[in-house]
Amino acid sequence: MLVEPELIEKARGGDAPAFNQLVLAYRKRILGTISRLIGRPEDVEDVAQEVFVRLYYSLDQLRAPEVFEPWLYRLTINAAYDYLRRSKRRKESRMADLSDQQVTMADSLAGGRRETEDREKSRVREFMDALFRHVSEEDRLLLMLKEVEGLSLKELEEVYHVKENALKVRLFRARQRVLKAYNAAVADGKL
Amino acid sequence: MSDESHLDELFQRYRAACPEVEPSANFMPLLWHKIESRHNFWFVFQGLARAVATASAAVCLLLLILNLAAAPKVQSTGPTYTDALMADHTAERTYYTEALRNTPPSMEGQDATPRH
Repeated sequence: MLVEPELIEKARGGDAPAFNQLVLAYRKRILGTISRLIGRPEDVEDVAQEVFVRLYYSLDQLRAPEVFEPWLYRLTINAAYDYLRRSKRRKESRMADLSDQQVTMADSLAGGRRETEDREKSRVREFMDALFRHVSEEDRLLLMLKEVEGLSLKELEEVYHVKENALKVRLFRARQRVLKAYNAAVADGKL
Repeated sequence: MSDESHLDELFQRYRAACPEVEPSANFMPLLWHKIESRHNFWFVFQGLARAVATASAAVCLLLLILNLAAAPKVQSTGPTYTDALMADHTAERTYYTEALRNTPPSMEGQDATPRH
């Protein structure tokens, strides 16, 4: 835990400075998670603020300070999921949707070592995003939390309120789908 | 290296490839602004909901009083239909006792078998 349980207790009791401290301690982690979950840097802060607003209004329902982090993750996933549902309807144009020619043009403008690294990172991100398109939005979030965020099965159990075995099955299936897409991509020489 | 471990490595590379997001200077002021605006909304909404609930309760009470005041008073002067039915079906007046009562007096005391 990034904070002492006493601070969570204080924030739960309506102490605004304690809540402020809590946000300051967790905001970077939450911003990182949301950025990976929604993949749109321009909206990451907005969704993170929504998470903390929801936290502010639901903190009194928290059972014990020990389950604070899974609780916060749950709020984060819900907010990210709501955002993704909303944005599906909007169908905004994004970098990943640009044509290869446009991406090549953007790439050609960049030069130097830093740019090469950035290009490589961007290629990895795009490749993974393409693999994640082979699973549902729910499974993508679950895989992301397990494989990228590094949450344990116990923590995921707390987040989803689902038995560990059910989570294992779901994760296995999602992983198999991604693996199949990965093998197909390798066979096509995309990696 | 198996496909599984390739995939694991790819997940790690993906994590490293995702940019670190730094919160902007406006993050906290904007957050508190959002909390307060939602607080105001809830305050107004709760006030309205409470007023509507109180008004509904008052109207219900008023209607109940009016209903009780306007209802015609039923006076039980004589025996009701159920009373009459009860009186007619006492324990003594069963099918068997009715049959006995209807038997003519001449047949009373006679056996069913003929005397020789």
